[in-house]
Formats: sequence, C-alpha cells, structure tokens
Amino acid sequence: MVALLEQFLGRYVALSKDELELVSGMLEVRSCDRKLRLVDIGEQEMFINFVTSGLLRKYFVNGHDEIVKSLVQEGQFISSYVSFFNRTPSEYIIETIEPSTLVAISYDHLQQLFQIDAKWERAVRLMMTDLLLEKENWLLDNYRFTPRERFLRFMQSRPELLQRVPQKYLASYLQMKPETFSRLKHLVGQKKCVGTGI
Amino acid sequence: MNDTKSSTKEEQRPMDVTILGYLQELMDVSAVEAAALMPLMEWRRFEKKELIITAGEQEDYLNLVISGLVRKFICKGNNEYTLQLATEGHIVHSEISYLRREPSVVQLEALEPTLLLSLSHDHMQYALDHLPGADRMGRMLITCMLLKKDERQFKQLRLSTRQRFIDYLQNHPHMLQRVPQKYLASYLNIKPETFSRLKHLLKGK
Repeated sequence: MVALLEQFLGRYVALSKDELELVSGMLEVRSCDRKLRLVDIGEQEMFINFVTSGLLRKYFVNGHDEIVKSLVQEGQFISSYVSFFNRTPSEYIIETIEPSTLVAISYDHLQQLFQIDAKWERAVRLMMTDLLLEKENWLLDNYRFTPRERFLRFMQSRPELLQRVPQKYLASYLQMKPETFSRLKHLVGQKKCVGTGI
Repeated sequence: MNDTKSSTKEEQRPMDVTILGYLQELMDVSAVEAAALMPLMEWRRFEKKELIITAGEQEDYLNLVISGLVRKFICKGNNEYTLQLATEGHIVHSEISYLRREPSVVQLEALEPTLLLSLSHDHMQYALDHLPGADRMGRMLITCMLLKKDERQFKQLRLSTRQRFIDYLQNHPHMLQRVPQKYLASYLNIKPETFSRLKHLLKGK
C-alpha cells in the first residue's frame, strides 16, 4: 500500500521515508462491497480516498436521472471534494461499482499534515488542479465534440472500462443517451472501419 | 504593453480594500499575504468588444475582474456558446490552456471597457516557489472555482427554463442592461425567442 501511495504522491511531491511513514499512520483502510454508497447527497464528505483496487462512480441526481461525473479506478483519488474542503453537505453520491479497497485520510489528519509541512498543501493543490481540469474538460467536451467523438476518445483513453462499467453509467458519463451508446458500440473491435461508422 | 499604464496614480494604490475584499471572497488570505502578491500582478485594460484571448492562443493569465465585464465562450461550427459572464470580483480565464500550457479552446471578450488584475503563469510559479501560503491560496482558489462550476451546472440541469431565467435575473438584475440578450440567453441555455418572451416576468414585479 505504501509503495502504491508513494508512486501516486510522487507525481506531485517528493516524499522521504519518514514522511511516507507519517502519512501511513494517518490512513484508514476501507474495504467495500460492490454497490456500497460511501457518501450520499446532503452528507458531509469525511475523507479523501485513494483507490488501491476496485472501481467507483461519482454522480449527482437530476430528477430521476443519475448523471455520472467521474469513473475512478485503482491508482486514482475520489472524494466529494467541495464538501470535504468547505465542510458543506455533498451534492454528489459516491458508490462502488466493484468491490473496492480504499485508503482514506480524514479532514483532521490532512489539516495536521498541512501544519507540519507546506508540501502537503502543494500535493493537494496539484490534486485539485487535476480535478479542475477534469471538470472543465468534461464541461467543454459537450460543446466541442459530437457524441461519436466523445465515445471514440473515451475508448482510446480507457478501453478497459467498457468491460467493467455498466453501459448506462458509461453513457451517462459520456453525456449521451443509452441508445446512442449502444449504437456506437459497433465502432469498438472494428477499429479499421472507424471512419465509416454511423 | 500594459506596463506603462500600470504606473498611473489611480492604479498604484497600496492594498486596496476592494481588491482585498475580492480576494477574500475567493480564498483565505491575509492583508499581508495579499500585499505580497500585488507586485506580481499586472493591470490590463481592454476596450469594449476587444478579444482578451482567442482560440488557438495560449492563455498566460489568471484574471480577476476589477471593473467591466468579460464573456467566456466557445465556438462550434457557426454557433457560439457563452460559458461565463464575469463581473467585478470574479475570476475568468482559459483554465485548461493556462494550467496545461496548451492552445486555448475557449475565447474571452470584454463586453464593456474592462480592467483586469492579472497573474501571469510565470509569476504564479514564482509565487508558489517563494511566497509562504501560496499553495494554500492556490488550493482554495481552485476549490472555489470548482464550487462555482458545480453550482452553475446544477442550476442548468435542475431548474426549468423559466426558473433559470428568474433565478439569474433576480440575483443579477443589472445584467439585463449590461449584456446583449443573445449572450444572456446562450449563457442560460434559453432560446433567444423564449428569452424575449420571458422578459414580461420581470416587468410584472
């Protein structure tokens, strides 16, 4: 677990053995079944979770529709960040798709780290920057790409998720109707014919 | 090009309380920290209808609107979609281009004569490397920007056309005078015809 965390945090800040040990002592390991709801709308997010195995979705509800905002797999972080940092009720639901193992840090522990060394602020700032970019890209994709382009881009960047994620979630994440998604699926597996689709 | 303008007296005020107030709306920042940031920031002026950044250019600035109004939009085919209408105290820039150092997809246009207080990418890096508390401020600013994007997204999805119209114009009554209707309609994702029709809702009050 420490090795995985070191690998992940290493993308943002260099950490010494002592620092890794310090943070390890603050982490809580959570093993979750599939379809377990970790945070609900109106609850306060208590943790930032690092996914060591499994797959989760973060979504919000609009009337009867669930709109999938992120699909998070091993090696990535998940949290209802605004709720976590601003200590406000969550607008999002976080739920496991597969059985998942998470290592979590609480708000209080993170504040302790911030007091100890500004480098933790840096790590979290960089994480939040990635999140802002993800969000802005997701918002802009709706304008700049057609459903077909969004589908193909996703299949290029995260093809393994086609097997792991129920189609209705994938369709929602890609901001298209489930029927459209089904129709586009023929593009997978006949990559040479990609230009002739639809 | 803006350097000469920045030395005019009216703009050389020390830590202006208005600016400090704008910054404190966005993040926890002390007057001392804000004063340390000020020398790194540039004043930039734009005429009405002037483009601040066009698609394909690289965004070099994080902008705080001090006065005026900036429209952020994206072009697709012959259509323009208004993504943000930023007024006094708001942050506006091409986020992805600024952070990833790649060509901008979105464009920014001044809808009024506009004065921006801008932090260049180089100066942001300098601040992060040298100013105590800069990482915290950056983290809080980004969290605040995320929150704003969430709020807008939820309103777009959850409110009906009529509710979006009323909600926005009740909270921003001056915008009807300041922004051409087609941009307001686009920002609220309302057809221009529908927007015109809904205006009677305001007169009735």
